[in-house]
Amino acid sequence: MLVNEAQAAAASDQQSPLLSDTRGKHRILAEVKRLEQEARSLEEELEELDRMEKVSSTLEEFLLQVESKPDPLLPETRGPTNSSWEIWFEGPQEMQGCRCWIL
Amino acid sequence: MSFPELKERHVAATAKVNSLREQLKQRRHQLLDTDVAKYAKSQGRTAVNFSSTDLVCSRTLQGHTGKVYSLDWTPEKNRIVSASQDGRLIIWNALTSQKTHAIKLPCAWVMTCAFAPNGNSVACGGLDSACSIFNLNSQVDRDGNIPVSRVLTGHKGYVSSCQYVPGQDTRLITSSGDQTCVLWDVTTGQRISIFGGEFPSGHTSDVLSVSINTSNSNMFVSGSCDATARLWDARIASRAIRTYHGHQGDVNAVKFFPDGQRFGTGSDDGTCMLFDMRTGHQLQVYSQQLDNSDQDAPIVTSIAFSISGRLLFAGYSNGDCYVWDTLLAEVVLNLGKLQTSHEGRISCLGLSDDGSALCTGSWDKNLKIWAFGGHRKVI
Repeated sequence: MLVNEAQAAAASDQQSPLLSDTRGKHRILAEVKRLEQEARSLEEELEELDRMEKVSSTLEEFLLQVESKPDPLLPETRGPTNSSWEIWFEGPQEMQGCRCWIL
Repeated sequence: MSFPELKERHVAATAKVNSLREQLKQRRHQLLDTDVAKYAKSQGRTAVNFSSTDLVCSRTLQGHTGKVYSLDWTPEKNRIVSASQDGRLIIWNALTSQKTHAIKLPCAWVMTCAFAPNGNSVACGGLDSACSIFNLNSQVDRDGNIPVSRVLTGHKGYVSSCQYVPGQDTRLITSSGDQTCVLWDVTTGQRISIFGGEFPSGHTSDVLSVSINTSNSNMFVSGSCDATARLWDARIASRAIRTYHGHQGDVNAVKFFPDGQRFGTGSDDGTCMLFDMRTGHQLQVYSQQLDNSDQDAPIVTSIAFSISGRLLFAGYSNGDCYVWDTLLAEVVLNLGKLQTSHEGRISCLGLSDDGSALCTGSWDKNLKIWAFGGHRKVI
């Protein structure tokens, strides 16, 4: 009986593996294509890096650019200043303000 | 192709990708000959010197009955929209602290909100996987509520973040738990482009944040649970322009630097970073030194840059709000340790259009407006 069951199982296995194989193959093929596309992007990026300048080459311009802009939140800043910067301290300074609760 | 041949091809492709990633990492490391702070120090720069009373809380906006999750300023007139766990949006006049609108949301589980550039509409999104648009000039319904004017449906996961394209009231970008970002036409409700998802080079996990470049509104960056940030060109949905590695945890926040050439990130790994958009270089890491190294660093929930970029504001899960000197990579102030600080986690931050005020939103249900109240020296 065990042998018969085994034979029956083997017979049915011959049909279902084909179906699951096809689905599995499609999944793996899609994943392979995704990986190969990623590999191509990474190769492009590597080539780009071969031509790229080091970090230090951009920093002088960066520093000067940040330091040249007027900034109302800094204790020391380039001008020009703007009168709109002071609006938060004009008129009554209510720490609590409108306290109505939305129900 | 046979199954075994296919599997072999898969193994080979995986090995090739891993090898290339390692080569890229090495090559990038060779190009990192310095960082912003080392360079700035070598040029004799010193950190911004704040006295403890320089940045003051000039307004506390009270009214939400739940944690504040998100906020956004209008480009003008100093209005703010905030979204809360209480299932409401509130529109504030930040100058007078008055509430001009309170919108009860159809879905209470809101995570993000945004103001349209013209100030006439607000958008919000959350666990309903949709983005709802409200026209602030519409007639209220019989319950006194502003009706939804448009619902943007299509995401297959929560909407984590939304932002209108600068200068365009009809275009909005959302990020989602479904691993994609979407560019929407608000007037028709249609998706114009989907970034990621089925296409390769998209995020491989939930997207948590998005930031559009104000200098070139075709470009935007997204931050994700896959620990990367990605740069997209809104005209090219098929692939990300660049992927930025470096973080060891979810990238909760991304924000473009004011010059549009760089952007900042904030992560679950407790650090913020500054990246060069064009080259992909990691320019600086902003990291707290912990006394007890066994402690987990508090996570970064939100970031914003001051208008010059000299200051990086970072909200953390432990209630701290560090003000980093971007150039020297030093913490120059902690808004979370002042007498007027929030009493809970800072979940969101945003700068007013002219850069004169910072708004913080917190799990303590309040929003606060911070401005410079000290003596300003003009060079």
